[in-house]
Amino acid sequence: MRFFTIICKNLLRRRTRSLLTIAGIAIGIGAVVALASLAWGFEASWVRTYTARGTDMIVTKVTSQSPIPAPFAEEREKDLRALPHVVQASGLLTDLISIEDAPTVLVFGWKGDAFLWEHLHLVSGRWPENDSEPVVVLGSVAADMLNKTIGSSVQIETGTFQVCGIFESSALAENGAVILRLPQMQRITEQDGKVNFINMKLAPGTTQQQIDELRRAIATRLTGFKAFTAGEIAQNNTGIQVAKAMSWATSGIALFVGAIGVMNTVLMSVFERMHEIGILLAIGWRRSRILRMILFESILLGVIGGIVGCAAGTVAVKLLENTPLLRGKIQGEFSVFLFALALAISIGLGALGGLYPAVRGSRMQPSEALRYE
Amino acid sequence: MTEAQTTKSSTPVLVEARDLCRTFDEGRVEALRGVSFEIGEGEFVAVQGPSGSGKSTLLQLLGALDAPTSGELRFRGNRFNLLGDIAAFRARTVGFIFQSFHLLPTLSALENVQIPMFEMPWPASERRKRATALLEAVGLGDRLGHLPPKLSGGERQRVAIARALANEPAFLLADEPTGNLDSVSADRIMDLLVKIHAERGMTIVVVTHDATVARHAGRVLRMLDGRIVSQESAAPTAG
Repeated sequence: MRFFTIICKNLLRRRTRSLLTIAGIAIGIGAVVALASLAWGFEASWVRTYTARGTDMIVTKVTSQSPIPAPFAEEREKDLRALPHVVQASGLLTDLISIEDAPTVLVFGWKGDAFLWEHLHLVSGRWPENDSEPVVVLGSVAADMLNKTIGSSVQIETGTFQVCGIFESSALAENGAVILRLPQMQRITEQDGKVNFINMKLAPGTTQQQIDELRRAIATRLTGFKAFTAGEIAQNNTGIQVAKAMSWATSGIALFVGAIGVMNTVLMSVFERMHEIGILLAIGWRRSRILRMILFESILLGVIGGIVGCAAGTVAVKLLENTPLLRGKIQGEFSVFLFALALAISIGLGALGGLYPAVRGSRMQPSEALRYE
Repeated sequence: MTEAQTTKSSTPVLVEARDLCRTFDEGRVEALRGVSFEIGEGEFVAVQGPSGSGKSTLLQLLGALDAPTSGELRFRGNRFNLLGDIAAFRARTVGFIFQSFHLLPTLSALENVQIPMFEMPWPASERRKRATALLEAVGLGDRLGHLPPKLSGGERQRVAIARALANEPAFLLADEPTGNLDSVSADRIMDLLVKIHAERGMTIVVVTHDATVARHAGRVLRMLDGRIVSQESAAPTAG
């Protein structure tokens, strides 16, 4: 018989308690995996929004940390086109607008000749044909949400539009968006001649060093403007930052509750096992060996709980992604790093939960511990 | 009431107790009130007395499961509290047998006997070999894989005795070893202890309230209210 055999037998004997502890850890870890993957997925979907559009850099006017940057004159586009490595530059106007009785929806005003249209896939209907036509195209999720089909009319701010097409995008955010021609957007938001983003396409093979030079050139030529790459804009987005902070906070609470649960379970089991600890001390086991036994047991529970939690969190996110209410709106981002982190946390939890009871159990006088029945 | 002088000059002294006191509850309960005696190497001593006379407390002090409030205990001339590694002393020098067996219920007879051996530098195969031999010696060669709940009281106590012998200790301490057994099983356990004493020459101290058990011993220390009130040498039973 080996030391590990004793540990396994101890856990198997207290089957219900072991299963409850594993469930407690798994719930905490599952919550962490699910929430973190959703927060990272949210960020990743924004990065994909820009990369799918073929956008390499986005230029906005530096403002306070509001989710939607302030508008500026669309002529700035020409200044940017004159810079080296810039192949295309296209201004657009974006806002979050409450449409009819739906919550706020992302509304984009794009120029008719913008390269942005190229990555969208038309599911039904047609694209807007000219700048004066009062039509919009809807992302598939937005169409569902607003309950519109081709030919329906949509009230956006002061304007009434007809739905002329429904599209799909590889970017989650765009599937929930409404797109119209820039002049129409400028009219309803009363921002004539203004845009709040300029998306730029750079020459293929532009190096990071050249991107940095370009960034400096933009900062000097256009005072008050700043250029971001797709990844950076996701990181600087207030909405994403709030979502990430929320998910970490919720994960933290889930972990805390999980840790207390583990601690409680291990502690109770040590009090139940005082007698057994007394026997082991009486027959000469060292305190360090008893400490190791209890600690290994709780670490083993942490490992199993962590693995179950990773699986449960993944399944939960996959189920959520496929519920009718959330389809197309959320997307979990799973990585080896996330699972490794979750496992490390659960092993840490197990060790921490087991440490106090282990120390306490091993410090008893054998005669005192033997009195527990 | 005079304190019994308990010496035995013919054999070297294994354990020497001087004026042992043990109080509980911040001095409100006095379990031992100044106990002195010596136990020689290879002796079979019974400590007899009614419940509450302090005999189990005394045995726990001898087995280093507890420490005296005052007084001195010496093992082969060395003071207990200076033994250093108290766990090693418990593991290698003392074998403890309890009234309620105290076996680990999830481990088989063979595994229970191996538990103390983790403190010895023996590989797993050696632990297994030794435990098997010990269980055969106590007549349980056909019960190796049985879990304690599947064994009778007498069989459980025999597993406990095999466990106490696991690391070849210098002395065996038995606290009411027959207290939970019927008379037939009790006799067999006492016969086994007598046999171990005879064959291995091992020092044995048995605590009991039962005069028939005490009869097996070479010497009987009688206790009352935390003191040794008399000691008598019986005719040696065996060996």
